[in-house]
Amino acid sequence: MAEETVQKVVFEHEGVFIHSSSDEDGIEQDLLVSGSLRIVDKDGEIFVEYRPLEDTVDPSNMLCAGKDSSSVMEWAQCPGDRSHQLLETQQSYETEWDMVNAVSFKRRPCTNGEGSLNHSHERSRWAFTFSVSDLRSITVKEEGWSFLLFKLKDSSSPSSPSSPLPALHFHQGGSREFLDSLRRFALLSEAPDDETCLLVSTPNKALSQSFENLLDDNNFGLVHQKFRKDPYVTTLGSFSKVTNYIFDAFRGTEEQHQRPPEEVADLLGEVIPGLEINQQEEPGFEVITRIDLGARPQVTRREPLSAEDWTKHQDPEGRMIKIRHLKQVIFKGGLCHAVRKEAWKFLLGYFPWDSTLEERKALQRNKTDEYFRMKLQWKSVSEEQERRNSRLRDYRSLIEKDVNRTDRTNRFYEGIDNPGLVLLHDILMTYCMYDFDLGYVQGMSDLLSPILYVMENEVDAFWCFVSFMDQMHQNFEEQMQGMKTQLIQLSTLLRLLDLAFWNYLESQDSGYLYFCFRWLLIRFKRELSFQDVLRLWEVMWTGLPCQNFHLLVCCAILDSEKQKIMEENYGFNEILKHINELSMKLDIEEILQKAEGISLQIRSCKDLPESVSNILGFHTEVSGSDPTDPGSRPAPRPAQRQDACSNGHGHLRETGSHNSCKVAFIS
Amino acid sequence: MTTKTSLLKVILLGDGGVGKSSIMNRYVTNKFDAHLFHTIGVEFLNKDLEVDGHQVTLQIWDTAGQERFRSLRTPFYRGSDCCLLTFSVDDNQSFLNLGNWKKEFIYYADVKEPEKFPFVVLGNKLDVTERQVSAEEAQQWCQENGDYPYYETSAKDATNVAIAFEEAVRRVLAMDERTDHLIPTDTVKLHRKPRSATTCCS
Ligand SMILES: Nc1nc2c(ncn2[C@@H]2O[C@H](COP(=O)(O)OP(=O)(O)OP(=O)(O)O)[C@@H](O)[C@H]2O)c(=O)[nH]1
Ligand SMILES: [Mg+2]
Repeated sequence: MAEETVQKVVFEHEGVFIHSSSDEDGIEQDLLVSGSLRIVDKDGEIFVEYRPLEDTVDPSNMLCAGKDSSSVMEWAQCPGDRSHQLLETQQSYETEWDMVNAVSFKRRPCTNGEGSLNHSHERSRWAFTFSVSDLRSITVKEEGWSFLLFKLKDSSSPSSPSSPLPALHFHQGGSREFLDSLRRFALLSEAPDDETCLLVSTPNKALSQSFENLLDDNNFGLVHQKFRKDPYVTTLGSFSKVTNYIFDAFRGTEEQHQRPPEEVADLLGEVIPGLEINQQEEPGFEVITRIDLGARPQVTRREPLSAEDWTKHQDPEGRMIKIRHLKQVIFKGGLCHAVRKEAWKFLLGYFPWDSTLEERKALQRNKTDEYFRMKLQWKSVSEEQERRNSRLRDYRSLIEKDVNRTDRTNRFYEGIDNPGLVLLHDILMTYCMYDFDLGYVQGMSDLLSPILYVMENEVDAFWCFVSFMDQMHQNFEEQMQGMKTQLIQLSTLLRLLDLAFWNYLESQDSGYLYFCFRWLLIRFKRELSFQDVLRLWEVMWTGLPCQNFHLLVCCAILDSEKQKIMEENYGFNEILKHINELSMKLDIEEILQKAEGISLQIRSCKDLPESVSNILGFHTEVSGSDPTDPGSRPAPRPAQRQDACSNGHGHLRETGSHNSCKVAFIS
Repeated sequence: MTTKTSLLKVILLGDGGVGKSSIMNRYVTNKFDAHLFHTIGVEFLNKDLEVDGHQVTLQIWDTAGQERFRSLRTPFYRGSDCCLLTFSVDDNQSFLNLGNWKKEFIYYADVKEPEKFPFVVLGNKLDVTERQVSAEEAQQWCQENGDYPYYETSAKDATNVAIAFEEAVRRVLAMDERTDHLIPTDTVKLHRKPRSATTCCS
């Protein structure tokens, strides 16, 4: 089976933790070391090896490569030191066990211990290895998860014989699998006086050989049993029900029973119900005569918030203070890049503003656990299972295709072997497990890419992405309600701001602003340079100066283009083309300046239509717009749900017909 | 007589990732960008060309292939003169879906006589070595579905891309000639649709 020269990895499981607080020295109270546990066959002798993945879970240090975790790329082709640890794992024939792989980055190059797990290396001070023949017993304990304590025979000295090996905590499961694999090489029998203690005895070599054969089948049976009992399998079971879900791909679900009229615009109007906004006669319309908005104030932008200023907004325990001021500064100038990694976690709601450093560490630990539990779910789906799960298969295939087409000129994602691509893939796959109903929809990779770029960490990026998706969710849902809502809201705003322009667009069948689709779906991700996207997003996430500020950003851009569009007398197609071609030609600071000016202009208007105040949240914010932000977990999908046609109704068709959410302007 | 410029609208349809945008870009700009983003929304590019003495402006429409965005792409089908059904020779599923794309197009473009509508089938990524769809299979499908012309293309190395578009134009012109015989009208087809892109006339 194995080559003489190579060691064979018989078992591998990542996401095995050491809690260093259980370490007597007590200095590094909070350290949670994550690593991988293996059983390795080295020329017939069986070793148990533990290697930490990173120094700590403190994710601020990011690493060079982990290892293959998906079909996106072959790590074996990795250049240099990266490939080192990757190759070994590929020899694992128990691929079913080769489940959760944390891919991560190290800023400094990995110091590879030549596979010898040398203890002298500082970063591998938690690494250990021992021969199974030196093992006396294993104690199995439960504490919501399993952890194992290894006791070695006195004579053996793995490293420091006096100090016991640290307990291994199986936060992502796998302890039973580990023990079962071990049973192939050793007899594990319950100690007569302690049922949690398994005594280890290793048969001689010849015997172990036949054991291996014998247990192969046996083990297989066990595997299946175990799988049925494991909690995550239950989860998988429930989603296998949805495999019958029929993607009625090409039968129109829009029920276009009557043939649509000639013009594309009318079709779009049908698809996007409620967009026939100029039909003033319709009951329920709030008819408003032209409103004089007054002059638009000139505003100036400021410098980005520096790292120094950020720390000034922290109390000794690490709570953020003067948050209202802080957000204001971020709104006015954004963040300098060094601050983003930390600040975005607050802005997105992953970290509560009033949490202490301590609390955040604990949160991250829990979230790490939770993340890997979900990652394990898709990682552990066998090929067989996937064959019977068309939705999962479709998600995976879409993700693989899109990951290869997302920001590939960015250094973080360029080239073929870039670990950034694996991370994008893995996080999106895990998001499918987090929200299987939504799964993966094109556009989501665009939303994740900047976040991952800033976080440089799989787990943090995932949870920040989850928060962002809470805001963006409706854009991607089956009926794309979020898109419809926003297009209507934008139309309402534009009519208030510039009725003449809107009338022109309407005369060109473009009054429903279809050409803003890409802007809205992925928040200008494709319209701006990567760095400008980072700036725009952090500004938006402050929630200032009003709700739905991104719609005012649209208005600002349109305001700059209207002269050209009207003077050149652009028609339907040319407008679409012109707007598409603005991509990468926009100046973010100019746009933000204008958008803020527009917000002030609207705010100073006395008799604003109800609908406009609702869109911009001028009503709700009287209660103080949570300046200190309770910092609680973000409510699922807050913004748009409330905003939906400014009254929280789900369906615009309904909304339009029996309340006065629509507005008509008469010039 | 003045020279006539016809504006023809062709639309590229097919599964996500088969190379629709790459084909369009190869044809219009003669470039292949391996870093291209997947398409969101709808885009189009214009290209002037001459086929058999006819001046033509091709307006090539490209959409996103994912199911979810169907309701936002189908309105743009209307008014198409030709539909390029695209699959990728290294992706069998994309080949199997051709029939669905055809159906979707006919339904939403509201084609009067589907049997006569000019479809052209493109099997893209010819340069890839691991094929999942053989030329014979594809030929057969084309034959059985209405005797559509079939081209194996590579947006990457430009194989057959221009030829396929030119064939599309020929098919459309041939159709028009037929109908022109039936209904003699002004043959100048500038601005066939009230607000399609302006193309310069003579
Ligand atoms: N080898 C090879 N690759 C190609 C060819 N054409 C496109 N590709 C690659 O295939 C992938 C998909 O191409 P796209 O042009 O983005 O596909 P699409 O059909 O527009 O996909 P959607 O926009 O998602 O609907 C990209 O990575 C291209 O680089 C080709 O002829 N040969
Ligand atoms: Mg495309």
